[in-house]
Amino acid sequence: MERPRRITDSFPRRRRRGPGRPPGRLKDRKDKDKDKDKTQLKVRDCPRAASQPPPDPALMEMLRRFDLSWEYGPCSGITRLQRWERAQELGLSPPGPIRDALLEHGDNPDVTYRWVWDGVGW
Amino acid sequence: MFSEQAAPTAQGLLAPPSGEPPTFPRVAAEGYSDLSQPFRLGERSFSRQYAHVYAVRLAGMRPRLERRARGRWGNDIALRRLSELQEGEKCCVVGTLFKAMQLQPSILQEISEEHNLVPQPPLPKYIQPSDELMLEDELQRIKLEGAIDVQRLVTGKGQRWLWWQPPCRGWLGLSACCAAGTIVAVYGCEQEDGRFLVEDHCLADLPPPLPWSGPSSDRFVLLASGLGLGSMSGEALLSTQLLVDVVTGQLGAEGEQSCAAHITRVILAGNLLSQNTQSRDTINKAKYLTKKTQAASVEAVKMLDEILLQLCTSVPVDVMPGEFDPTNYTLPQQPLHRCMLPLASAYATLRLVTNPYQASLDGVRFLGTSGQNISDIFKYSSMDDYLEILEWTLLAGHISPTAPDTLGCYPFYKSDPFILTECPHIYFCGNAPRFQSKLLQGKEGQRVLLVTVPDFSATQTACLVNLRDLSCQPITFFSFGADSED
Repeated sequence: MERPRRITDSFPRRRRRGPGRPPGRLKDRKDKDKDKDKTQLKVRDCPRAASQPPPDPALMEMLRRFDLSWEYGPCSGITRLQRWERAQELGLSPPGPIRDALLEHGDNPDVTYRWVWDGVGW
Repeated sequence: MFSEQAAPTAQGLLAPPSGEPPTFPRVAAEGYSDLSQPFRLGERSFSRQYAHVYAVRLAGMRPRLERRARGRWGNDIALRRLSELQEGEKCCVVGTLFKAMQLQPSILQEISEEHNLVPQPPLPKYIQPSDELMLEDELQRIKLEGAIDVQRLVTGKGQRWLWWQPPCRGWLGLSACCAAGTIVAVYGCEQEDGRFLVEDHCLADLPPPLPWSGPSSDRFVLLASGLGLGSMSGEALLSTQLLVDVVTGQLGAEGEQSCAAHITRVILAGNLLSQNTQSRDTINKAKYLTKKTQAASVEAVKMLDEILLQLCTSVPVDVMPGEFDPTNYTLPQQPLHRCMLPLASAYATLRLVTNPYQASLDGVRFLGTSGQNISDIFKYSSMDDYLEILEWTLLAGHISPTAPDTLGCYPFYKSDPFILTECPHIYFCGNAPRFQSKLLQGKEGQRVLLVTVPDFSATQTACLVNLRDLSCQPITFFSFGADSED
């Protein structure tokens, strides 16, 4: 006899999470075991899609210099694009190529530099 | 004003009831627009440091202060950053003030076991003669001395890290703890011992004025705050009911009723619930003891709902949350949820708004808070008068400079919404100890009415503001006791 149909059959199926797990990006679960060392720079800890090529070291150097320049304010806790746009609105004229680079590599977490990871960290 | 218009027809109460009782249609409020969009928070993320707030505050107010400094001390003064200071050179520096206060409650000191300190009880004021004033800009800080009143000026201390963070190479300098507080421009020179000798200082002064397009006839707005429901005091409830009756026109003769018809809006500026509803002793008790108890605020909110229902059927009401109301603690406080007020929120005249609140009514710009910013400045400065503090925040160009240091604040990162960019016409603060008002005239043609709205549960006084000529008068409700003669 086939299984009796339920009302909930019309609802979309979702993957079940464990009871205590906070709602977060599911792709983090694979990488959680890999990085035990949270004290290092968070840039390396963010999960990265395997299909992307590693970003250009000169580009990363330019972005890091953008982070450490004090004129545009604090860099922690916000993405680089948010910091760039904030500097733009305050009239501090941040360099344009940085924004182009950020938009081009927008899906690469090393480039967007979001320091918040799973709600932990700063 | 109110009673002058009412006096001629006072005899109406002694006449027999007329066949056709007169009705007074309420003056319609035209041109209302809610401008508190910057104070509404959508998606909230608390995983940011507060350094961003200070950085945008300084960056946002620096141009205005540099203009003000040039206007005051001449166009050719040298504007320097702290890192460019040279000894003995007279120059002007723009930065945020902070005050190192010994008595300031510090959570780190309290939980530190080596000090073995008993947590100090809350004091009315935390100032002391040994407090020191420092100026900070983006990178450095310097001690100030000279022609600057340490006690009077209010600031905030350096920001503390709220949780442990790994050593980071971004955004450092001596001011890894960024300073909070007001942005000032100081004029003086650096001494040999590394302190800055101040000869003169200036604040941002009044923001640019707004064009005036107020009404041409008498229109009143009633400001009340600190209703304090839930405090189990019968007298305060009677006064609240009298207030509602006056506004809805059920009190007095035809004169008073026709005057009440000119009230176009009621603004309740915070502390609708009393502090007694905040008792949290049930938290420490076991669950089986507290199963049947109800939070004190539930009854109080029901009472609030009934009072608001009576008001909303007759006049538009704006309800701002306050310190003891069931909403978030940090500034800007979000509006009360309409599910708590089921009866009153059925009416479109009820507007639940944020704290601080900004709106434009009939061409007159209102801006006000429920008083937490002013009472916080009162605690950390030697200024005693709420009206003086209110005026000072307007001159400093910032609604609450002590946030986020001593006053809870949301960690903004893009812009600081508490910076005053335009000069309001009416600037009020709620829950003051007494009623005061002052009309301030600015150099660029600004006209601001400063009003400190008193705490209704203590003083039974509300304020009536006339939008036509920016005048304000208090209105007090009280009942006579059984043993008083009358």
